[in-house]
Amino acid sequence: MTIENIKKRNKITKTVKEFFDSKNYLELETPILSPTLIPESSLEIFSTTNTHPYKKNRTSYLVPSPEIWLKKFLSENPVNIYEISKCFRNSEQYGKQHNPEFTMLEYYTMNYNYLDTLKLTKQLIDYINKELTWSKLPKKSLVMSMENAFIAYAGFSLKDNYTIKLLHKRATELNIHTSDNDNWETAFNRIFIDIVEPNLPKNVNLFLTDFPSKIPTLAKEITDTPWAQRWELYINGIECGNCYTEEVDSKIVNEYFHKEANARLNSITQHEIDPNYHTIFANFPNCSGGAIGIDRLIMGILGIENIQGVILFPSHDNI
Amino acid sequence: MSQIKAGALEKNMFILEKDIPYLVVDREFVNPGKGSSFVRMKLKNQRSGAALKITHKSQDNIEEIDVEEQNCQYLYTDGENFVFMNNETYDQFEVATTALEDEKWFLIEGETYKIVRWDEETLGLKLPPKMDLVVTEAEDGIKGDTVQGASKYVKVGTGLTVKVPIFIKQGETIRINTDTKEYQERINK
Repeated sequence: MTIENIKKRNKITKTVKEFFDSKNYLELETPILSPTLIPESSLEIFSTTNTHPYKKNRTSYLVPSPEIWLKKFLSENPVNIYEISKCFRNSEQYGKQHNPEFTMLEYYTMNYNYLDTLKLTKQLIDYINKELTWSKLPKKSLVMSMENAFIAYAGFSLKDNYTIKLLHKRATELNIHTSDNDNWETAFNRIFIDIVEPNLPKNVNLFLTDFPSKIPTLAKEITDTPWAQRWELYINGIECGNCYTEEVDSKIVNEYFHKEANARLNSITQHEIDPNYHTIFANFPNCSGGAIGIDRLIMGILGIENIQGVILFPSHDNI
Repeated sequence: MSQIKAGALEKNMFILEKDIPYLVVDREFVNPGKGSSFVRMKLKNQRSGAALKITHKSQDNIEEIDVEEQNCQYLYTDGENFVFMNNETYDQFEVATTALEDEKWFLIEGETYKIVRWDEETLGLKLPPKMDLVVTEAEDGIKGDTVQGASKYVKVGTGLTVKVPIFIKQGETIRINTDTKEYQERINK
């Protein structure tokens, strides 16, 4: 990473902070080491040991996102907050968009839904483009639903092909590799990753909205539809962030945790789960949370295609 | 043949996809955030040379081809095929010229190359990173703006046209990067 880009990276982080500070969001600094984690079956984690010279050692984990702390904080302090912190995800072997240690911006707004956060995020991008004249972020933002993306790039309606049988049939027609062991989510992801995502419009900040609610997340459902209140942000075709209207029903949250904890039993590294974590949702404010990968955002701003170009001492050189 | 997880694929491996041998040109790890991870691959059909983009789940099993590298001497071409000889067994075999589109610019009669073989089939030819070739056609240096590092085009013995600095003369040997086909330096032989 060049000195010039280090300076630019610092300036970008400052600009993001300025944006949220000017709107009176409270900046937090939460721990990177945690004694428990939220179970997420899709993530591999880093585990380490707190040693004690005379007592029993204790296992701690590097957080894959600050969510566990931020939600705990919100349950006691329902105010707008943000944090830029280091996050850790294991087993992401290689690629131009991955580093096992990376920087994430997470922000929560009280009484917002996912579409309000979409507007806020658009404002953030506009602010960056205004403040940083050298920003190469696209000027144009575009909102597209997952259903419309499937119709445009896979040539079929997801809503009309919502069973795994139909999805497999469509995949076979599109010459996409499938397996009999696929669950619904895998079948969906195969088509999405193979044919939809690579064809998403480039040169725009794309908000891909309304993901299938069959993909288990903590996003609220859109009533009477198969969709969840969720979007992902693609800058120049690279996934940079996501957002939910946060589920606040403690029963639904608890069920989700149980399912994810079960699914996580196949993971390489197991972790402790706080059995009472769901109780924070008994008194949880209505809010929407967004998260943006700062390194990928910086790639977009600087027009650099490889994450190694925006991180000092990146972990991998084998890409 | 051995099974390998798609997530363990590396560049330059050879794999079998629907019974056709492919070279792994590139692979990108994709994690959709929720659910399992995927590998998006760029493959090259080693029979037709065609490119193929395909996505596998990281856990999908892939057939890796157990290839053998043999030292072989390049003998000659009949226009349609290149003829090689295995340096150990003295067996001669042909490789279609279309299969070595990129490599043909570095084939010199009598030179030994590493040929990647799978049973009787040739899957590729491994070039050294740099090769020294003799300039066979070069115009005399044209006086120009040498401050800008003036350059010109010359032809080497294999027919490849290379951009070189203006001081390179016919009959001289130059070192070429076989990957980019770009001039590296002049060799004083």
